[in-house]
Amino acid sequence: MNEEELFFAWLDGELEGDEAARVAAQVASDPALQAKAEQHRRLAAQLRGAFDPILKQDVPPSKFGSANVLDFQAQRSEREIRRSSFGVPQWAAMAATLAIGIVAGQFVSNRSGAPIESRDGMLVAAASLDRALDAQLASAEGNGRVRVGLTFRTRAGGICRSFTDDGATGLACREGQDWKVEGLFAAPEGQQGDYRMAAGEDPRLAALIDERIAGEPFDAAAEKAALDNGWR
Amino acid sequence: MTSPLPFDSELAAVWPRLRRFAHALARDSADADDLAQMAAEKAFKSFDQFHPGTRFDSWIFRICRTVWIDTIRSRSRRGAHEAPPEAAESLGHDPTSATEAAIDLGKAMAAMQRLPEEQREVVALILVDGFGYREAAEILDQPIGTVSSRLVRGRQALVAMLGEGG
Repeated sequence: MNEEELFFAWLDGELEGDEAARVAAQVASDPALQAKAEQHRRLAAQLRGAFDPILKQDVPPSKFGSANVLDFQAQRSEREIRRSSFGVPQWAAMAATLAIGIVAGQFVSNRSGAPIESRDGMLVAAASLDRALDAQLASAEGNGRVRVGLTFRTRAGGICRSFTDDGATGLACREGQDWKVEGLFAAPEGQQGDYRMAAGEDPRLAALIDERIAGEPFDAAAEKAALDNGWR
Repeated sequence: MTSPLPFDSELAAVWPRLRRFAHALARDSADADDLAQMAAEKAFKSFDQFHPGTRFDSWIFRICRTVWIDTIRSRSRRGAHEAPPEAAESLGHDPTSATEAAIDLGKAMAAMQRLPEEQREVVALILVDGFGYREAAEILDQPIGTVSSRLVRGRQALVAMLGEGG
């Protein structure tokens, strides 16, 4: 590298050790080089600032389909499901495509009143959970046991809401008229039944949200508008 | 990492940056979005060639750059002479600009377009996206010294175009 290239490599943090120290000393003793460093730092900041809005645009990528590929978490969950006492193969198959941690027996069931049920090969919210996701705002202090946490727009353009219900926390996304449950995790030990636990606190849930969210979660006004618009 | 994430997850994670990279290379937003989309499709078709444990972002940026060279770049060239002359004039240094003057996306894209392609891709990777010299050299399949000298020329040209600002 020539002197000019060394100067810029130093500016970009690409030099190490003696070489970095030598250029740093050179710049420190030369006001012209200092001004040049400042000028080019500004250029880099201007460029990044100009292109940054692209990162915030809500233009989701195409979906290429990857349902046949399990991610690590799903694989682990599948093992947990297999070890559990479910004994219903269809659950294991379904859970393999979802990020379901520990699914409590009373949670997923086809008996009436269960908060999650199987329909057309999907796990969907039912009963009290469905009603809460349909109508309840995050600010609601309500008497119900379901609490809704974050509501957000996905990169694919849909809407998802996180929830806490009876010692479990999860994520449900609008699918037609249903709330498809895309993740369900048992609350950490000791927090069972603690309804104040903020939805979104569970790191596994946070990872699911991170994978899907476009931009920021809805604020109260956006959440209300989405409710009024039928969660479309 | 024990296993690669599904393609859609990998793509979703890098997608905003891939679109930004495409905007830094392409003539306009329509071309940029075409470029990002074509890169995603090509990456999906060859996802079995991606090595788990290596960087997915580098891999798909490399594909994006290849697609740009093969297709969009020639499209931009054909249309280049149709670019309105005032677009270039508006790039002139504005003596009233404050030292921290922000520039908008259109101005930045127009300035990038005036760089020779081999400088533009280096600036897009290193200054806009923040790749290190080595990663950029690997993506471009060029020696690090070549990358470094093109970067110097590219940023000098940009400073001249976008104003010195103090």
